[in-house]
Amino acid sequence: MVSFLEMLSPSFLLFPALVGSAILALVCPLVGAHLMLRRRVFLGLTLPQIAACGVAFTFWLHQAAGFSHGGGGERLLAMAGSLLFTLAGMGMLAYLDRHASGSPEGRLAAAYALASALTILFVVFNPAGELEILNLLKGEVISLSMEELKLLAIVYGAVYFGLVLFRREFLLNSFDRDLSFLLTGGSAQWSFWLYVLCGSSIAIGVIMAGPLLVFGFMVLPPLAARALARGMSSFLTVSSLIGLFIAIFGFYLSIRLDLPLGPTDVAFGCAVVFIVYAIQLALRRSRSATALLVAVLIVGLGCSAPKAQAPLDMQALGQSPIWLASVRNSTGSDLRLPGSNPLRSLGEMAGKISPDYRPTVMDLLRGSVKRELEQRKIVVSFPEERDARLQSFPFEAVSAATNARAANLSGWLLLSDIRRWNTDGRAPLSTLVEMRLVRIDNGAISWNKQFQKVVPMVGAARLDEASADAVKEILREMFAG
Amino acid sequence: MADSPALVGLYRANLGYQDAAVLDNVDLELHSGDLIAIAGPNGSGKTTLFRTILGFLPVLSGTLTRNCALSEFGYVPQSTALDPTFPISAREVVEMGGYSRLKPYQGLPAEEEKRLENVLQQVGLSHLAQRLFFSLSGGQRQRILIARALMVGPKILILDEPLSGCDPESQKAISELLVSLSREEKKAVFFSSHDLRMVQCVTDKILRVDGGKVGWEEGALASHPW
Repeated sequence: MVSFLEMLSPSFLLFPALVGSAILALVCPLVGAHLMLRRRVFLGLTLPQIAACGVAFTFWLHQAAGFSHGGGGERLLAMAGSLLFTLAGMGMLAYLDRHASGSPEGRLAAAYALASALTILFVVFNPAGELEILNLLKGEVISLSMEELKLLAIVYGAVYFGLVLFRREFLLNSFDRDLSFLLTGGSAQWSFWLYVLCGSSIAIGVIMAGPLLVFGFMVLPPLAARALARGMSSFLTVSSLIGLFIAIFGFYLSIRLDLPLGPTDVAFGCAVVFIVYAIQLALRRSRSATALLVAVLIVGLGCSAPKAQAPLDMQALGQSPIWLASVRNSTGSDLRLPGSNPLRSLGEMAGKISPDYRPTVMDLLRGSVKRELEQRKIVVSFPEERDARLQSFPFEAVSAATNARAANLSGWLLLSDIRRWNTDGRAPLSTLVEMRLVRIDNGAISWNKQFQKVVPMVGAARLDEASADAVKEILREMFAG
Repeated sequence: MADSPALVGLYRANLGYQDAAVLDNVDLELHSGDLIAIAGPNGSGKTTLFRTILGFLPVLSGTLTRNCALSEFGYVPQSTALDPTFPISAREVVEMGGYSRLKPYQGLPAEEEKRLENVLQQVGLSHLAQRLFFSLSGGQRQRILIARALMVGPKILILDEPLSGCDPESQKAISELLVSLSREEKKAVFFSSHDLRMVQCVTDKILRVDGGKVGWEEGALASHPW
């Protein structure tokens, strides 16, 4: 399991994703704060949807023009579409705000509905590229490459620089347009530049991280900061700092609890907003209520802290044999590995391996564990070799031990369950495996551990290589110390 | 006063929105040291007159002259016109008045800090500078907005209903401040109110606006009842 400090290390596999999240979290709250102050916070919801519509539209256009998907330019194409639609949508909404009657909220809601509908329609028109579109619309910060991270840093750096450099002008223009007109000679230009900065950050952010995370970072940190701020400077600074806090701890929670990053960040951000307002309310009521609330939070956090899981204790095994149960597969996929091994072809030619047979991740894991244990002078056997009925075991310890005893096995039973083993080919291979060692004579669990590993697809040319890397990582942690 | 050129002059001017005149045939000059009130019921065109002078609205016909830059106008809107969701401090509101003299990357220089302290002292609210603007009372907010207008370093102060929504103590403080600004600092002060009786307590130069017409009201010399 990755510790908090390991996560902050540049050598950590997902460090680029963490940096990407931090960049988003630093800048999006500033953008959101300005939109919130202008009572245009729903722009933060509508514009990402318009950006998503732009992505779907450019993909459809790309396909209609006869180009095939998978050429590698999708990301660039998506960015162009996203940026174009966002700026056009923003311009249109700004024009209507100035020249049309009716409520701005109504216009934003209608624009949101239209953009959502068009996005779906463009995806339907373009079934060939549906998967790529859906992946891009989903936007997964976890799969950011270094090039994308650089682009994100450049665009968001420019937005941050602009918002900080012209903070006075934007603030004055948002707070009192009349005074802005008198002092700066024109308020429309500042509104224009503010919306350009907002549009750019949203358009790029949606491609890199998805609409949910962008909107979450735009709204939640300023909402929490609003309760703490004693002025505009502190409001903007605290918004960014809270965003950073949510990004880092949300990232940690996502890894620790094995949850998707975007929803985890947003849910954690909501919790932060709730806690900030609860503390503020308690402070207003009484100090004792505050102390009670803080104590509850500390106890809650303490109770929820997961216990460290130890590696397998080889000394405790003694001389008893270990029966390696077939690895369970709870992923819903068959986890067959692509075949490329020349030895396998020889085996097939010799009739030793059926051409229909393909090794699986389960075979790879069990075989590797067996080798590791044997190297440590432990007697290891497969239960089905003793009794053909023991092809599989329940993962529940007592039932598994009962089945083993029924087949006259003794010693230890090692159960393994693969909960997750997936990648879309571009994102890192994400795995979750649980193992437990059970005493056959009484069904007691003497060791239990979850292994959560993320393996890059960059170094590994294919899924079988990445899977082998993941298994190595699991074994390293299993026998550490 | 009339010997010096008018800072602002309106001559046979029709004022309003998109060809719909709200005020007809307005003749008005504002000179340094003037303290002029404009009184009339709500919706009579007081704000239209202000917005035209400040350049937010064009003159429909007639002539408007200004002998000072727009950045030399100190404008005090009604505090209710500002968005109360802003977590802005009183000091930050006053600082805004000096923004036109600052470059984007520049911090607040020492002379601006000094000016800020001075205007806050002038309106008697130095001790509330760090408080959130919208946590202040109506009268205090109005005085902070006057401090912001003074921070501009204006030749003309235009105040939209500065006395409405204020408690009697704040009304007294504000009207004394307006009198002092016009008499001692020779600033042209032009303010509005829908309460004729109240403005008669502050100045004897009162423009009466009603039914699209603007005319001078015969008023008594300022005699503060407070």
